[in-house]
Amino acid sequence: MLASLALALSYVEGFFPPLLLLPLPGAKWGLANIVTVYALYTLGAPSALSIVLVRCTLGALFAGNASALLFSLLGGLCALAAMTLLKKCRIFSLYGVSVGGAAAHNCGQVLAAMLTLGSFAPLAYLPLLLVVSVFTGALTAFVSTLLFRALAHAE
Amino acid sequence: MKSYPDNRLRPADALVVLVVLAMAAAIALWQFSARTQSDALTVVVEIDAAEVDRFPIESLETHTYTNNGVTLMLAPYVGGASTVSSQESELTRGVCVAESDCPTLDCVRTGVITRAGQSIVCLPGRIVVTLEGAQQDFDAIAG
Repeated sequence: MLASLALALSYVEGFFPPLLLLPLPGAKWGLANIVTVYALYTLGAPSALSIVLVRCTLGALFAGNASALLFSLLGGLCALAAMTLLKKCRIFSLYGVSVGGAAAHNCGQVLAAMLTLGSFAPLAYLPLLLVVSVFTGALTAFVSTLLFRALAHAE
Repeated sequence: MKSYPDNRLRPADALVVLVVLAMAAAIALWQFSARTQSDALTVVVEIDAAEVDRFPIESLETHTYTNNGVTLMLAPYVGGASTVSSQESELTRGVCVAESDCPTLDCVRTGVITRAGQSIVCLPGRIVVTLEGAQQDFDAIAG
């Protein structure tokens, strides 16, 4: 169920200014990561992993684009790996974990682009993407904290 | 009963931000230092990771490439001064994607590239246009 929520969020964020404020390829809000973060903190890494896998696979299927799978997967898995590691360290809050996840996500996607194109060219986009990821990571963390707060009140 | 993380920023978070920004700066610096501005630039076009075209930047023709359902038009750019009366050395030459029917149009948005090492990437079409400078790198100089 969480996977479908992640999918829905990916779809919805497409309606916001598609490429953020900057015409950067691959820049997006990353709202689907809210689900990943939630799963990571409440269900644990293994569950978060399955959700990411399902979300990426189905997302690529719905987009009708098989190559999108590589991008989605590398980005999502790198993000999850980074976030799991950061969370384990216990000195980072949700914000640190989320920014790390966003940065890792971008690195994964640039890596996928480099593999697909067989060129170092996509690396040129990474610096700006990384700077953007600080903000999108913080935003995801902020929304997640609202979510957690609301859920805590509801229980 | 699930335990939710507390939502306050911690000092260590600054560390994550710093590392990410440092990575961005490092990559940007590496990219920047690898570029040289040279008049003898060559435009190299790769499709599906294989080189398909190569021509000097002085070429004033537009080139059209189609791949993976995407067609894009590469156009020359000449700028810097009035092209009628200027010396060749004052002109800035570059290329840009004038038109494309790819879904995201990042290639068009990239604008003009004028320096060696810069590139325009069309991901849906798997087309990469790179500027190559004159060979100036030496691995070792003997004697």
